[in-house]
Amino acid sequence: MRKPLLGAFETRNSHKHMVGSLQSIHLPMRRFREYEEVDYAIVGVGSAGGVLLQRLARAGFNVVGLEAGPFWDTERDWVSDEAGSHELYWTEPRVTGGSDPLALGANNCGKGVGGGSVHWAAFTPRLHPSDFEVYTRDGVGADWPVTYEDIKPYYEQLELEMPVAGPAYYPWGHPHGYAYGPHPMGGVGDALIKGCTALNIPVSIGGPVAILSGSHGDRPHCIYRGFCIQGCKVGAKASTLVTHVPDALKKGAEIRDRCMVSRVELGKDGRVTGVHYYDIDGHSHFQRAKAVILSGYAIETPRLLLNSACAGFEHGLANSSGTVGRYLMAQAGNVVMGRFDQPVRMYKAPPAHALTEEFYETNPKNDFARGFAIQTVGPLPVAFGKQMLAAKKAWGWGLRREMMDYNHWAAFGLLGEILPWKDNRVTLSEDKDRFGLPVAHVSFNLHSNDKKLIKAAKEKTEAVMHAAGATEVVQEARYAHLVGACRMGADPRKSVVDKFGRAHDVSNLFVCDGSVFPTQGSANPGLTIQALAARTADYLITQGDKVFTSNERDMASPPIRRELAPPETWGKGVPRLK
Amino acid sequence: MKYGYPAVDPALCPRDADTSEPLAARKQPGYYAGFSTLSQSPFWDDATRTVVEKRVDHPPARQFFSEDAWNFWTAVFAHLIPQTDRTPERQIPVVAVLDQRLAQNQTVGYRYESMPHDRVVYEIGIEAIDREAEHRYAGEFLLLPHLQQDLVLKAIHDGKPEAAPEIWKKMPVHRFWQMIMGDAVDAYYAHPWAWDEIGFGGPAYPRAYTRLERGEPEPWEVEEKRYDWLAPATAVSDEIDSTPSHHTEAGQHSHQGSGGTH
Repeated sequence: MRKPLLGAFETRNSHKHMVGSLQSIHLPMRRFREYEEVDYAIVGVGSAGGVLLQRLARAGFNVVGLEAGPFWDTERDWVSDEAGSHELYWTEPRVTGGSDPLALGANNCGKGVGGGSVHWAAFTPRLHPSDFEVYTRDGVGADWPVTYEDIKPYYEQLELEMPVAGPAYYPWGHPHGYAYGPHPMGGVGDALIKGCTALNIPVSIGGPVAILSGSHGDRPHCIYRGFCIQGCKVGAKASTLVTHVPDALKKGAEIRDRCMVSRVELGKDGRVTGVHYYDIDGHSHFQRAKAVILSGYAIETPRLLLNSACAGFEHGLANSSGTVGRYLMAQAGNVVMGRFDQPVRMYKAPPAHALTEEFYETNPKNDFARGFAIQTVGPLPVAFGKQMLAAKKAWGWGLRREMMDYNHWAAFGLLGEILPWKDNRVTLSEDKDRFGLPVAHVSFNLHSNDKKLIKAAKEKTEAVMHAAGATEVVQEARYAHLVGACRMGADPRKSVVDKFGRAHDVSNLFVCDGSVFPTQGSANPGLTIQALAARTADYLITQGDKVFTSNERDMASPPIRRELAPPETWGKGVPRLK
Repeated sequence: MKYGYPAVDPALCPRDADTSEPLAARKQPGYYAGFSTLSQSPFWDDATRTVVEKRVDHPPARQFFSEDAWNFWTAVFAHLIPQTDRTPERQIPVVAVLDQRLAQNQTVGYRYESMPHDRVVYEIGIEAIDREAEHRYAGEFLLLPHLQQDLVLKAIHDGKPEAAPEIWKKMPVHRFWQMIMGDAVDAYYAHPWAWDEIGFGGPAYPRAYTRLERGEPEPWEVEEKRYDWLAPATAVSDEIDSTPSHHTEAGQHSHQGSGGTH
């Protein structure tokens, strides 16, 4: 075995709390006392919670983030290993059912500071303008209470804060470009380019992904090790743990990790007064807060509201509409695998590095509404083995033989829009967690439009794989991402929160995470979740103390507060937003 | 401590594609002779090195299964992920990893509403497999010849068990198969010896991968050298099912009709 030129690696002996290979957390962090009433208690420090915490702290609010999982020291806690990364995912008990049950856990649910942004592949396409008016255009799904133009400045801003690497010109939706250069291709991206080009399909090369193609502040560039979804030890892939949490703590926010919020408390005046939670030792606490923001994602946020049922809200807090838990969405995420005569070695490069959105929009020639994207994925051996179980029903010697060819396979993931349906929902199960709280029951059923769309998307993705030169093409049906279940809307009878995330029923309770999406497009939701969080933060900051004292609901859009972004993350480069 | 499998019987070994003679067990099967991910561990970070080396050097001891259950599942997993092409000291612990998972009550983070809890699955699964063995070959699973054991499991793989309908009512056969095969993959392909076998480069932080395109090996990886082999004559698991693929998840694991292929 030849040795590389560089010497053996030794971990620096450091007592700092590391997030990424170079960046450390500013400690000690501020600690609020138990009886202190904070301005905001944020439940869940993930994609949205991390951004909210940072913005609100920088604006001078007293803010506590309660996170069910650990506050990662990435050098100590994370590994370049599939089996060793089990702790990154929400593996508390849940029940999944319906005619098309969703896999949860590692598939779509994070746990720990950074949440899902720790284990996302970091594709960051924007939603298209059409996504905000699906009902108006196609008579299916729902319209958003906001437009693309409302969110656009936040897309531009977050793309710099993460930042996003991608092509200089991106043609789909509202055409735009990326300030940071695209990534080099791995074997899977090469296959996608080849297949798309042969079929005359435009393809985006090297992004958009929230992975550094050059160093940025105290974060190094990507080293193409392929373990993106096991948590980026390098610190090159954006997670709010590395992009927003360090600045939040510096500005006086507190993160209380391994604290599981069990109930939001409603006062006699119809306003929330704080949250009950269990600490790591199972002790019960109450954190008083002038306002509460739920950022627990599309299953835990509705579960918490349902578990917070009380007099006046017997069917779940803020659920006078009956829509808490309803209109849950996942995207179709079928993985199409192609075997090539020449080796591919798809474990190198980030799984996310090329895509096409050519089939994203409704096409009147199709027998279904809306569309899909095709993206690179790069399953590592354990994930690939499970795909072979599903795609080829391989077992025993057949499985051993297929796996010996691991290096000959490339994999594409389709991302297909599944519409919001009332019967796809989160309810409370009979099963209880270790605190005795009812766990979430998730019921998911595909409808006719969804099935037609998935079939067409699968066939197109298979055609691209064949055109790339694969000699054998197989596929695994699965789902990706979760959104909806506390949707935003203008009509309080049909939605849970308004366009700023404020509960229609309770003036000082907010929801800010993927669960507010009325529809989902076929874009990965992470960027939009963070953009909405920055917008909600701007609204709260503009409203100031009125949120804490008044039930008045100001529906005017706030000005964007770019100056509240983490310093050095924006204002330079192209596009220069100032 | 007993982890692996009994000393290898030539009749259970893969065969040479030309001569059909049993191939001698190897320290490292697969097409990447001489490649060792563990040889690169000085270039990994400490946390990764600790986790991976522990997996190799200190497989967990039996905690959850009774001795009988341990022996039963050891026999079953010898079919699900056979290792008779590996020399005994280089066989990868599978049941030990599963046992630890169940002991710690670790799950994937959800349970299908149609399925019992994981521990129950591995309890009633024994009876379901034994009943199928009795039904087909009038004997306990453990006492059947290797080929008949393989055929019992193939019936379950195919979603067509004929015995124990009341158990399969509590536990859909395709979800049962998905779980036990998932556990086989989780244990086997998490092991660095399996990475060597399939040519996976393994951990690469902080060093990086540098040759991203055309499947080129890093300086410390090796080129593929293929050889042909046949599965043992006593196994039926080498036959890959090539029925049309289903486009929805609910359809692909079940074998009932063509519900997902329209």
